[in-house]
Amino acid sequence: MRLLFALALCAAIPGRAAATLNVVTTTEGLGALAREVGGDRVRVETLSRGIQDPHFVDPNPTLAVKLRNADLLVDVGLELEVGWLPPLVNQSRNPDIQVAGSRRLAASSAVVVLEVPTGPVDRSQGDIHPSGNPHFLSDPRRAEKVAAAIAAKLTQLDPAGAAYYAGRLAEFRKKLDAAISRWRAELAPVRGTTVVTHHNSLTYLLDFAGMGAAGYLEPKPGITPPPAHLADLVGIVRAGGVHAILLENYYDRKAADLVGRLTGAKVEVIPGDVGGSKDASDYFSYVDLLVRALVQAKG
Amino acid sequence: MVVLLVVFSLVAGQSGAAAGATPPSPDSAAERQKLEEQIAKELGTQAQPVPGVTNLPGPAAAPSAEGAKGGSPFGRVLQLPDFSAIVDGAFGYTNLSPAQQAPYSDVLPQHKLQPILQEVELAVQAVIDPYARGDVFITFSPDSVEVEEAYLTTLSLPWGLQVKAGKFYSPFGRLDQLHRHQWVFVDQPLSQQRLVASDGLNGAGADLAWLAPLPWFLEVHAAYQDTVPGFEAVHQLTGVGRVIQYFDLSDEATLGVGLSWAYFQSAGPASFKNVAGADVFVKIRNPASRAYLTLQGEVFGRQLSDQAFAQATWGGYGQVVWRLDRAWEIGGRFDAAPALTQVPPGTEYDCSLIGTFYASEFLRVRLQPSWQRLPGAVNGLQVLANFEFSLGVHGAHPF
Repeated sequence: MRLLFALALCAAIPGRAAATLNVVTTTEGLGALAREVGGDRVRVETLSRGIQDPHFVDPNPTLAVKLRNADLLVDVGLELEVGWLPPLVNQSRNPDIQVAGSRRLAASSAVVVLEVPTGPVDRSQGDIHPSGNPHFLSDPRRAEKVAAAIAAKLTQLDPAGAAYYAGRLAEFRKKLDAAISRWRAELAPVRGTTVVTHHNSLTYLLDFAGMGAAGYLEPKPGITPPPAHLADLVGIVRAGGVHAILLENYYDRKAADLVGRLTGAKVEVIPGDVGGSKDASDYFSYVDLLVRALVQAKG
Repeated sequence: MVVLLVVFSLVAGQSGAAAGATPPSPDSAAERQKLEEQIAKELGTQAQPVPGVTNLPGPAAAPSAEGAKGGSPFGRVLQLPDFSAIVDGAFGYTNLSPAQQAPYSDVLPQHKLQPILQEVELAVQAVIDPYARGDVFITFSPDSVEVEEAYLTTLSLPWGLQVKAGKFYSPFGRLDQLHRHQWVFVDQPLSQQRLVASDGLNGAGADLAWLAPLPWFLEVHAAYQDTVPGFEAVHQLTGVGRVIQYFDLSDEATLGVGLSWAYFQSAGPASFKNVAGADVFVKIRNPASRAYLTLQGEVFGRQLSDQAFAQATWGGYGQVVWRLDRAWEIGGRFDAAPALTQVPPGTEYDCSLIGTFYASEFLRVRLQPSWQRLPGAVNGLQVLANFEFSLGVHGAHPF
């Protein structure tokens, strides 16, 4: 009986002696990229799910257990996870995944960041990210940079797999280049147009699509839309010919529906990340859904 | 003391390893490990890396190779700790006399609407070095300034160990380790105040915590502190033990269960006091939603030196909290605690309701009406209208 218990315990405890690297990512989008370049040499776990608002994940101690044996922690950075990741990292007892640790990669270090504040920052501007907009994975060009950074980090941690990771990255780039060409063609009819979004979480996607944001349902990041702001927004949508209001499926759609009804703009609910809906099972299908939402809204 | 010696010996071992010359690149991980052990043996230290040090260039850790004319103008700013201030104020009303209320956290005048500055907490938080982080919390109230907590937490001990040293809340129960701005209700339950400590069991000392290598979260604490317990307002040397476990019941539900025990050494050699506690916490949340439901309860038992176990004093509370959406939260709490000596002996009951509005993540207002039933058929009504705001960068709180 004791032997059985000991065997069960050993089986349950993952360790660094395993052949694969334990990669833990904060979001499913980062996890999808880690799987693309890591293939069979990595075992990927994510701390949050695509259906969650990544700003407000519970720092459930059971997540610290995942981090305890992480060979690599990939986070978005730019204070996206500041409300929940630090206590988990502390609880994990894993010294190498501390900020700037040898087994920690901030994906934001690999990309050019937009909406970096250039003047004084305070919370009268809402719950802004003082280091810049962290929602960059909706842009496939930046996803490629992040995938390359993950591949480089995996190579550093697992030199024997260097050729494997390089091959996987090359394959991912090839697939991504083809997809980017397809997405650009699909987006051509809406290029130069504007939409309204709930939060400034689609800045990078709109940049990729050659589109812009005419406004946001939130008056300031993290602030609930008040009637006065929505009234202003109705005026902007009517005057600017905005054809769509986009919001992630974890937001309350009441305000979006109201503005849509008053203006005729179509409301499109999108997944917030890979795994944010049944159809967004990997990075390509996730961006497929985003592109389809932008195009369909125009009708 | 033993804990501190262990910490220092481990940290010293790591420092020594870091000071060694860079070895030539070995061909495999096994060869590298062997070389590291050989170097460590010759240096008389332990073969452990300095945590966080990247021994190969990588995209995240390497600084910019392009350079910057004149260096970074923000160098000093980047090294500043996180600073924050959290202010709690309230308007309070009660129909109980001060003697009947004590020892509530905020004693109110009878039959008057009293403004109170409950607390201003200043926090300074930062990583100290590759081995530890530091957290300092100073609290100001109209009558006092107190070092609420000031402690270091190790980041790099092996075998799942972590040491906290300094002045800190004891690892006893669930509420005891929470600061005022982390409480759902405006005040603490009477059972917590009277059976454990009126302002939380807290004091100088050290806490050794072990995270068990299991598939679920199981942490064991052993602390030795100088505390001021709720039953006797004098400093007492205290041993505290706690086991806390968390389980994912499903994608939407988490269960936390804990057992705590504190042993207080009194002046007399045969005199002792024990306080034991059991706590349970359940959180149910659809991950896609900001709404959630929490159920929480704690039971405390106290046995003094001249009491048999059957004569121990018991109390506890249970609460349910429903976060309706981003902005609104409601809850209720039932509390049973031993009554004070100023009133007839027996049990005092408290039923509180709370409604909270979160204007943002940094500002909330709360209204908490409470009904109290004291022995002798005395009924009390208390109403607290609280506001709380936060300035600056404050570290995220554990679950």
